[in-house]
Amino acid sequence: MSTEPPGGEPALAVELTGITKRFPGVVANSDVNIAVRPGTVHALVGENGAGKSTLMKILYGMQRPDEGAIAVNGSPVDFHSPADAIRAGIGMVHQHFMLADNLTVLENVVLGDEPRGGLGLDFAAARRRIREISEAYGLGVRPDRLVDELGVGERQRVEILKVLYRGARILILDEPTAVLVPQEVDELFGNLRDLKAEGLTILFISHKLDEVLSVADDITVMRRGTTVASVAPEETTARKLAELMVGSALPVPELRESTVTDRPVLTVANLTLADADGRKVLDDISFTIHAGEVLGIAGVEGNGQAELVEALMGIRKPDSGSVHLAGEDISRLSTRARRESGMGYIPEDRHRQGVLLEATLWENRVLGHQSRRPSARGPLIDRRSARADTQRIVETYDVRTPGIDVHASALSGGNQQKLIVGREMSGNPVVLIASHPTRGVDVGAQAAIWDHIRRARAEHLAVLLISADLDELIGMSDTLAVILRGRLVADYDPGTVTPQDLGSAMTGAGRDAE
Amino acid sequence: MSGGLAVGQQTAPAARRSRLSPMTYALIALGALLVLSAVRVITGAGDLTSTGSVQAALTAAVPIAMAALAGLWAERAGVINIGLEGMMVLGTFGAGYAGYQWGPWAGVVFGLLLGVLGGLLHAVATVTFGVDHIISGVAINLLAPGAALFLSKQFFADAAGGGQKQSPRIQDAEKVSVPGLPDLLGSIEDKRWFFVSDLAGILRGLTTQVSLLTVLAAVLIAGSAFVLWKTPLGLRLRSCGEAPVAAESLGVNVYKYKYLAVTASGAFAGLGGAILAVTSGQFRDGQTGGRGFIGLAAMIFGNWRPGGLATGAGLFGYTDALALRGSLAVHALLLLLAIALVVVAVWQYREGAPVLSAVSAAIGVLFAWWYFTSDGIPPELVGAAPYVVTILVLALASQRLRAPRAVGEVYRRGEGK
Repeated sequence: MSTEPPGGEPALAVELTGITKRFPGVVANSDVNIAVRPGTVHALVGENGAGKSTLMKILYGMQRPDEGAIAVNGSPVDFHSPADAIRAGIGMVHQHFMLADNLTVLENVVLGDEPRGGLGLDFAAARRRIREISEAYGLGVRPDRLVDELGVGERQRVEILKVLYRGARILILDEPTAVLVPQEVDELFGNLRDLKAEGLTILFISHKLDEVLSVADDITVMRRGTTVASVAPEETTARKLAELMVGSALPVPELRESTVTDRPVLTVANLTLADADGRKVLDDISFTIHAGEVLGIAGVEGNGQAELVEALMGIRKPDSGSVHLAGEDISRLSTRARRESGMGYIPEDRHRQGVLLEATLWENRVLGHQSRRPSARGPLIDRRSARADTQRIVETYDVRTPGIDVHASALSGGNQQKLIVGREMSGNPVVLIASHPTRGVDVGAQAAIWDHIRRARAEHLAVLLISADLDELIGMSDTLAVILRGRLVADYDPGTVTPQDLGSAMTGAGRDAE
Repeated sequence: MSGGLAVGQQTAPAARRSRLSPMTYALIALGALLVLSAVRVITGAGDLTSTGSVQAALTAAVPIAMAALAGLWAERAGVINIGLEGMMVLGTFGAGYAGYQWGPWAGVVFGLLLGVLGGLLHAVATVTFGVDHIISGVAINLLAPGAALFLSKQFFADAAGGGQKQSPRIQDAEKVSVPGLPDLLGSIEDKRWFFVSDLAGILRGLTTQVSLLTVLAAVLIAGSAFVLWKTPLGLRLRSCGEAPVAAESLGVNVYKYKYLAVTASGAFAGLGGAILAVTSGQFRDGQTGGRGFIGLAAMIFGNWRPGGLATGAGLFGYTDALALRGSLAVHALLLLLAIALVVVAVWQYREGAPVLSAVSAAIGVLFAWWYFTSDGIPPELVGAAPYVVTILVLALASQRLRAPRAVGEVYRRGEGK
């Protein structure tokens, strides 16, 4: 399979023309056009839900397009299954790793394309081949380890080796950096450059623009299911790309004039919590949030943020310390009692804690309010007024949904989150705890959620904002604190602090900045 | 959009699992044998290691082992087969029907084929139609005994030597001995030396008058180990039980391998039932007596591995055989169990499970106390012994088992993420 017809421009490695794919009720791709030059890293960027993954599934034969043509190395192809795509030299590294934990690396790699010797599988030949590929591209994969024992970066290299083993010359990487820590991202990019140097073509799907700009040779931008632009990385910036992805100017997290009052609403004193091993996950935490104030908490994930929120909501029992809500001691109250006395809570993982995916929107509206009007009347659920109130939330909070009787799973992440915000803002709360409120939502929903937090602040709620997005924290907070190993280690003024300051305080490197 | 900071999300690699070496296994077996000899000497229950007991244990273990093997094939491909019991029943009937007319081997083949039918039924329900595996299995367990009884009335009621609920006699399969060995081992066994005679008794039981059906079972267990772990087919089949979506993404036809596995599972279960019928001389209604479920337990005890399930089946067969030997042997079993539980207690303590260890120790002491304060076991309890041992061993020893990741999940093509 030569990629170069005699005496001309090298044929395009992949050419997608006019691809359209409809699912019941949605058009996932419409008129998508992409041209990928051989031997390059081609990035495909777009927001969540822009249709990138569907497009790649089409290219990998997992789904068939309703319209349009695919050409690989200049010749038209028609894939019915991934096996066809593999045969044409296309390999896919999925975002969620496709590995069996209880099988060895070798078994995972050769599965479906096993070398045979005599009666059984030729383990020696397979091992040899894997070592060869691993060395040729510097992947450092050991064939006889159990996948269960591998870290995330190693698993990804096994995935890459898996497609190389099948002779792929065109690699699709679906959000490969989503699960990696920065050092692993650097390693991955090193691997990608090696692969490119060997003449392989890489299609790289991402929405992390800095990464795209650093590794890609060409960039195609997708928005709402279609391709909107093809740009070269040297001619653009992350901000321009983001605006192409969104189709409008980006929202900026910022607060207007201060609404902070001197009336304390949520007062936490000396909160301490140890885990099962006796290690302190919360260590003597104290803070006060006043009415109309947003307290932002920055920290590397796993430094006690989740435990703090759960202790505040009464999900976990702290070993010592107290929580006062508007002067009243709520330390002994149950989660429901706390909610009823005016605490709203946007949990960090909306699928595990925020909504029931397989329940309708109005049922989700009732959750957490099952003992209160308008959701309940006495011991019974008041279906009619719960539904009416859900309709109100859908309209006020701009939840894009065909109706309040659809399951929450039918909504995009952003719309699910807007529904949660609407629910938590119902029933006149005085405190709003927002844990990663804009994680994994698209830009439009992000702007809307910021708006709602601003409105809550203007209505004199006390807001606790926890986020991994430092720009969001700096822009949305009146006061900033950094949590490190369960302790609040530093306070900052969001007006003067930079993300770099925060970053070093979060990792403990900047203790001198205190 | 601004990326935030994503530091420190590293997942710690799981600690390397220790896999015991063959040497360790040999030492464990040696230790067990030493304990067994000691208990034999202390209690005077010669049956603990006698040739007869071992032969009976082998006979009892084979159908259970086949059921366990059937479970292994299905579950390794991700399908729970709780319908083993029903498929075994079909096997017993098949063996009865063909066995009395055309001899034991015809019975075995026919029983196996009926088992295949049961397996296919389960495959159609669970793989093609996505029925919950437990529901389909229970349905088969309800259906099969009824069907067998109905057919038995149809075919056996008027046959010579048959009845409404049983088939005419089936001739037993051929038995073989290793030439020369039995007499030599027999003379050593009669000496009643500590350890040496016990070893000789057990070896003699394993080499004398062994049914060809038992040999067949051993070959099938070893063969399954080879096929499942050393061939491409086995790798693909196991991948369907671990990560079907990943297998699909690599072009493995998951449906095909699940069908193959569940059909093979039915064949093994049917074979187990057929062996049971042939070795006990006829088909009887209710003959399987829960052996399908015990097989499933043996497979779980054996951590979804052929060697393990064979050990589990052997254990159950052995207690079964002792129960048949009567009160004295079962009384000795109390002491054996007490020692075993104390060993489990020590082991669990070192594994860092103090509660479990305490429970094991307490039950162990209880059994020891029972042994030393009584002279025998009430006959009503003798028959229950195998089940008590089953439950205790399963509950206390099986704490670190690993089932195939996707077992019991209904798989539909193209619905992976």
